[in-house]
Amino acid sequence: MSRIQPSDLRRIAWRTLLLQAAFNYERQQGIGWAYALDPALRRIYPDDALRRERLAEHTAYFNTQPTLASVALGAALAAIGDRLFWFTLRPFAACLGVLFAVLGSPFGALALLLSYNAIHLVLRFTGVRIGHAAGPGVLGSGLRDRLEAMVRRLGVLGCVLIGVLVAALLAPGGEPATMTFQATLIGGLLFGMLAALRSRPSPTQWALGLGALCLLAGFRR
Amino acid sequence: MNAAPLATAVLGGVAALDAEPVAQTLFSQPLVTATVLGFVWGDWATAFEVGIVLQVLAASTLPVGSRTPEDYATGGVVGVGVALALANHEAFTIAKQGCAMLGVLVGMVVATAGIPLLKWKRRTNEGLARWCEEAVRAGDASAPARAQGAAIVLSFALGVTYTALCLGVGIVLLDRVAAQESLRLAHAWTLARPLWLGLGLAQVLSAFLQRRLTRGVAFGAALVATWMFLMIGGH
Repeated sequence: MSRIQPSDLRRIAWRTLLLQAAFNYERQQGIGWAYALDPALRRIYPDDALRRERLAEHTAYFNTQPTLASVALGAALAAIGDRLFWFTLRPFAACLGVLFAVLGSPFGALALLLSYNAIHLVLRFTGVRIGHAAGPGVLGSGLRDRLEAMVRRLGVLGCVLIGVLVAALLAPGGEPATMTFQATLIGGLLFGMLAALRSRPSPTQWALGLGALCLLAGFRR
Repeated sequence: MNAAPLATAVLGGVAALDAEPVAQTLFSQPLVTATVLGFVWGDWATAFEVGIVLQVLAASTLPVGSRTPEDYATGGVVGVGVALALANHEAFTIAKQGCAMLGVLVGMVVATAGIPLLKWKRRTNEGLARWCEEAVRAGDASAPARAQGAAIVLSFALGVTYTALCLGVGIVLLDRVAAQESLRLAHAWTLARPLWLGLGLAQVLSAFLQRRLTRGVAFGAALVATWMFLMIGGH
């Protein structure tokens, strides 16, 4: 059995970008997991038949947060990964981009991409090395604490960011928005806070309903 | 003129790739694709009007539990694309606002209608996964790579086709409506835009707050401080 080389870890890291290429309900990320793990299996199992057997086993069910899959590959991260990337960093980056756009800057998209990928891609590509070095104890190495701290800080920053964004919408360019706009924005915020108490209907379903009402109001004029 | 719709359809395929199969860099987010489409169609104002609203709504769509979230990757491209195509014929700002209203509605409908398509694609990938395991056990170690490639091609093709279809149907059905009802649509837009923004931002804020009073205080303080800065600093 040969030692895994840094070049193997790099290849695995690149392959994690396709972790969800063949996502399905039965095996979820199974194919992507096997595909990403293949360079390590080639190193560990020189015997082709044995390697293919291991590769086939790894096509079974697997699912985790895609970015932290690198760490898992290198070394039960789904929950912290979901909270960090899907529930915190992604909406934070989206709101940052929207703030730039609302302030009239054409760089909103760039701000969104940079703020998200500065953490996402770095963790994708270094995660394999971290997981490989730490092994199964990767969660005890302080990584989980650092990720949890990142979630907390981004949560607070996210609240501040939305406060700034709402203020920018209420007073664009230093001039107060129209009373209609201000009233309906605040109405939307209050309604949204109430709607957030239940997962159904979804925000999009609520928005479609509100859109239909606004169309009715516009066409009754 | 013909290049813009074609480029929009291709962008839909690229966004479909980024959303799930490849890298998930957030290139597929509505604000990013709206920026690209604003360049392609030469109308940044309309693109950003629609892109901002769809982005806020997309940000509020959190993947909770086993629920498949709305497909704002293609929904964003189609919504902005329809708005830009309709606004292309309009000279006045108020008419373009009416097109923006239609664009956001189309974007949300397309995003919602994309859920069964996403589920169908994932079910198709189940067959691919079973084939892959059988092929590997039979001696074909390159099967995972080929399965990944096939899945990527399927995602791209579905994204392009779905975008092109929805873009075409949207433009054909709404062109006359946009031209004849622009005032009413613009009035609806003045009501809907802040409502949608408020709804979406509140959903995201609720996720950040986590029912912690200190975070609520942070939100309030930032809002008041920024508002005062803008109002006082602007005079």
